[in-house]
Amino acid sequence: MNSNTLWLIGRRLGAAIVTLLIVSMVVFAITAVLPGDAAQQSLGQFATPEQVAALRAKMGLDQPGVLRYLHWLMSLLGGDMGVSVSNAVPVTELMAGRVPNTLMLAATTALVSVPVALILGIGSAMGRGGRIDGFVSFFTLMMVAVPEFLVATLAVLIFAVNLGWLSALSYASEITSPLQFMRTYALPVMTLCCVIVAQMARMTRAAVIDQLDSPYVEMARLKGVSPVRVVLRHALPNAIGPIANAIALSLSYLLGGVVIVETIFNYPGIASLMVDAVTNRDMALVQACTMLFCTAYLMLVLIADLCAILSNPRLRNQ
Amino acid sequence: MNNPIVKSPTAAVALALGKDAHASSWLGLIGAAMCAIWLLVAIFGPWLAPHPVGEVVSDNVFDSLSAVYPLGTDYLGRDMLSRILVGARLTVGLALVAAVLSSGLGTTCALLSVVSPKWLDELISRLMDAFISIPSKMLALIMVSAFGSSVTLLVCTAVLSYTPGAFRIARSMAVNIEALEYVQVARTRGERRLYIACVEILPNMLNPVLADLGLRFGFIVLLLSGMSFLGLGVQPPDADLGSLVRENIGGLNQGAPAVVIPALAIGTLTIGVNLFIDRLSSRRNRRSGGH
Amino acid sequence: MSDDKNGIKDQLVTGTESLRVFEGLNRGMSRRHALQMLGVAGVAAAGAGSLFGAAGKLFADEEASPGKGKPGGRIRVAGISSSTADTLDPAKGSSSTDYVRHYMFYNGLTRFDSHMVPQLELAERIDTTDATLWVITLRKEVTFHNGKALTAADVVFSLLRHKDPITGSKVLPLAGQFDEVKANGTHEVQIRLSGPNAELPSILAISHLLIVPEGTSDFSQGIGTGPFKVKEFKPGVRSIGVRNPNYWKPGLPYLDEIEFIGIGDEPSRVNALLSGDMQIINEVNPRSTTRIKDSARHRVVDSPSGNYTDLIIRQDQMPGQSAEFTEAMKLLLDREQVKSAIFRGFARVGNDHPIAPGARFYNADLPQRTYDPEKARFLLKKAGMESISMPLMCSPAATGSVDVAVLLQQSAKEAGLKLNVNRLPSDGYWSNHWAKHPLSFGNINPRPNADMIFSQFFQSTAPWNESAWKNPQFDQLLVQARGETDEAKRGKMYADMQTLVHDHAGIGIPVFISNIDGVDQRVKGYGTNPLGGFMGYMFSEQVWLDA
Repeated sequence: MNSNTLWLIGRRLGAAIVTLLIVSMVVFAITAVLPGDAAQQSLGQFATPEQVAALRAKMGLDQPGVLRYLHWLMSLLGGDMGVSVSNAVPVTELMAGRVPNTLMLAATTALVSVPVALILGIGSAMGRGGRIDGFVSFFTLMMVAVPEFLVATLAVLIFAVNLGWLSALSYASEITSPLQFMRTYALPVMTLCCVIVAQMARMTRAAVIDQLDSPYVEMARLKGVSPVRVVLRHALPNAIGPIANAIALSLSYLLGGVVIVETIFNYPGIASLMVDAVTNRDMALVQACTMLFCTAYLMLVLIADLCAILSNPRLRNQ
Repeated sequence: MNNPIVKSPTAAVALALGKDAHASSWLGLIGAAMCAIWLLVAIFGPWLAPHPVGEVVSDNVFDSLSAVYPLGTDYLGRDMLSRILVGARLTVGLALVAAVLSSGLGTTCALLSVVSPKWLDELISRLMDAFISIPSKMLALIMVSAFGSSVTLLVCTAVLSYTPGAFRIARSMAVNIEALEYVQVARTRGERRLYIACVEILPNMLNPVLADLGLRFGFIVLLLSGMSFLGLGVQPPDADLGSLVRENIGGLNQGAPAVVIPALAIGTLTIGVNLFIDRLSSRRNRRSGGH
Repeated sequence: MSDDKNGIKDQLVTGTESLRVFEGLNRGMSRRHALQMLGVAGVAAAGAGSLFGAAGKLFADEEASPGKGKPGGRIRVAGISSSTADTLDPAKGSSSTDYVRHYMFYNGLTRFDSHMVPQLELAERIDTTDATLWVITLRKEVTFHNGKALTAADVVFSLLRHKDPITGSKVLPLAGQFDEVKANGTHEVQIRLSGPNAELPSILAISHLLIVPEGTSDFSQGIGTGPFKVKEFKPGVRSIGVRNPNYWKPGLPYLDEIEFIGIGDEPSRVNALLSGDMQIINEVNPRSTTRIKDSARHRVVDSPSGNYTDLIIRQDQMPGQSAEFTEAMKLLLDREQVKSAIFRGFARVGNDHPIAPGARFYNADLPQRTYDPEKARFLLKKAGMESISMPLMCSPAATGSVDVAVLLQQSAKEAGLKLNVNRLPSDGYWSNHWAKHPLSFGNINPRPNADMIFSQFFQSTAPWNESAWKNPQFDQLLVQARGETDEAKRGKMYADMQTLVHDHAGIGIPVFISNIDGVDQRVKGYGTNPLGGFMGYMFSEQVWLDA
């Protein structure tokens, strides 16, 4: 790691803070403009005006928006993420209950999907233009084209209802044995793999092919290096950058975008917490979820870029 | 609903996506055929629909294929063929417009930021990063409440959701190309910024931009149904293909055509468009002798 | 589905103590007779039992009684939603999942049996002479989950907190009639209403008025007197209730533990039942009933209810101001088609007034309005509104309204009216769109009695007078009926009110929607209740597992 890399990290961290600030302002502005506030949402269909007014005052919603934003920002700087208005529970407590679930699901999915995607991608790159490549290409496009909720529902129907092998729901209940872990996580992990394997495999294939076409790989091949060795020793290291980026983006999706899977399998994660928060106009919670997702996204992209730089000497001195 | 993955594949990958397409040309032909068929359906479909799309024509729901209702009936007993013919036009039209616009807008912003001063580049990049992090449900809700729900608005929301991704890809490619010698030469020649962007940079990144557009198209097709669900855009009795799958999901266990056929339709449409774009790119490559 | 539902099924454990008077009332006994009874004897145990024994006996057999079921076991139950807004505060209950939780952990002063007749619960006696001043004697030796004894102060607190807007109670307007609630000693509560209302016992049975310990401000512990104690409550995740060993009804509940979650997606809910992950689910789509019936291990429980999704035609703006337009819209509702195509027969045809067929005071003599596009076209022409174009607001928030809107759009086309269906997000629908457009849809969950429905949704001054319908004659009848002691006369008044609503109000009620639950065959004692699924949200105390 040289000073250039450190400089890059420093600059990116600075930019991240600016980005987070922009995001928090935009999110706040949207919450303020959206019709219906936390008081109205909490009282529901049969609210009376006096109740709404009273609850608004209690929740502090009667203050000007800018003031509320500054107040929130100040608390955040002091390490306090605020209290969820819909049920008066501290935001950190709500998050603490969900973040481990989301991390667990994301990690398990990553553990399964990344190797599969790499094998599919590299395999089809090596046999490009051939039957395997055509099949993988068709198969991966197919995955892109099938709605997530259809895959999930179909999987439940087959494996849980008809065959009875697996559990239809995956909410984080007591997990005592590896077998039970399998039963609980198999379906959501499988569904999510369908979604992200296609992406990563296509990108891996493209990145490896890009390298296989380069003059130095051509040279190695002419020298009589075996095809497998060409790919693993020469092409792959140089393709790590783009592949790492693809993986990072997929992981960021796993951390914040899996609403459908969380709903269908009744899995309490961050994505559904965020949707709830938006519905309830629960500003502090929306902000916390968004900040978390944004931070994770920026960090993952940064790590991917670092991987790219460290694996490719030519980029280091740029 | 919103898929951050597609929002920003990286430049190198997209470049490669664009140029490896000389795979099997028969796949390209199939793709072209699928596209042609769907284009025809989109243009003439609604006129061919045997029934009004909202009319309940049968007492049986989730009916299977029959002579009277060639594609069966849906969850209310409406004619599935008519619904698909109408839904295809909406899906093809909206997704195409939205994909082209988001790619176009993203690429334009990318070119702009590459040839602009550093501060402007930085500003645009940060704004785009911020945009990716905004919950898509919020974005959709704010659009509905601020501007009502119309098809135009649906396209706008889809474009807003996918432009940052297109921007990211295009910018990283543009940066690489901008660093190449011939661009620097043009610059020292004293060419104007606009000229450099349009004549020197753009043509050399067109293939990957097109390839990206293909994937983006597929995701927008799926996004539409999520948006409709939130009340944005396509209004009943019309429904896009994704919504047709969603509203008939109850028929899945009996393998009802009402859920299988629209899913197949989305599949063939997405695959067709991507294979077709692969083919276009490979032709371009061959004409220009690779890069 | 956000609303103040309420209610409960089932009988008292000890039959002699049940509030037969009100059962008698519901069976058509003269109101004067009932009030006399109340006045003279109060709702004294033995007296009531012998006087109204016949009426009560009719139903006593089918009700659960202790010792009938098998103790022990654990079940998992899935409702329709779960979010961070889940609450254990009865006052804030806003969805069927909240009500289920509340009836697990709390008791009311009265409770509804399976015929929506209020029975005594925490109240041992309820006495009144004029239906304005009520004296409630509490059952003794009832304790909260934390060991504290139930006293009059708890009841006073539980009833009066609804009047404070800060509480955020869903029944604030209803609580407005409690002019005074005070404790007479440790086990007697005196309630003075702002006007006579003989329906108080059924009001006291709704879930929002369940009894909590005095001074409670943090409801997350769920301290009540109910059959189950909170073992775990995570909003948006799950709740677990364990058997309350000190429950005041001997032998109840049967189950050791109930785990309750929400699955928002209907196909997933049904799949979870069929795969054996869940033992009870609610709000089954009529299209899924065949799947459940096909499974040997499960059954469908279909309970007709007073729940309706209504077309709202605002009477204070055009085009609803035109009586012809309003009637034409009602004629364009193809009720039979709505019933068969959308609800697959799991509904009963409505007649544009909110009293469901079979409910008390239902006016069976009122001619049924039927689908008549020709007459509608004629009326529209007469109003000078042929071939106008109107937006029609609907939302998944109002059950089935999007589909009803599409069918209405098709029928309207035949009458030359162009309706543009506008599907709005569930999110914010109630606060921003419900009854705020010339044409929109609402959804009203069952209310325990006719007076409550009419006062909340049809009185000129009602806060939720959906169609802004103002009819002095109706208002007058409503107040009169509340004070009328002759049951026959009162019935006539309610019949007249239904006619007025049917003829003139801007509300089209195509059908009353049935509740469909899916239940594992091993779960026994599971019945129906017109108030809602999950046996009127009160299954927890009454079901047992026969594994």
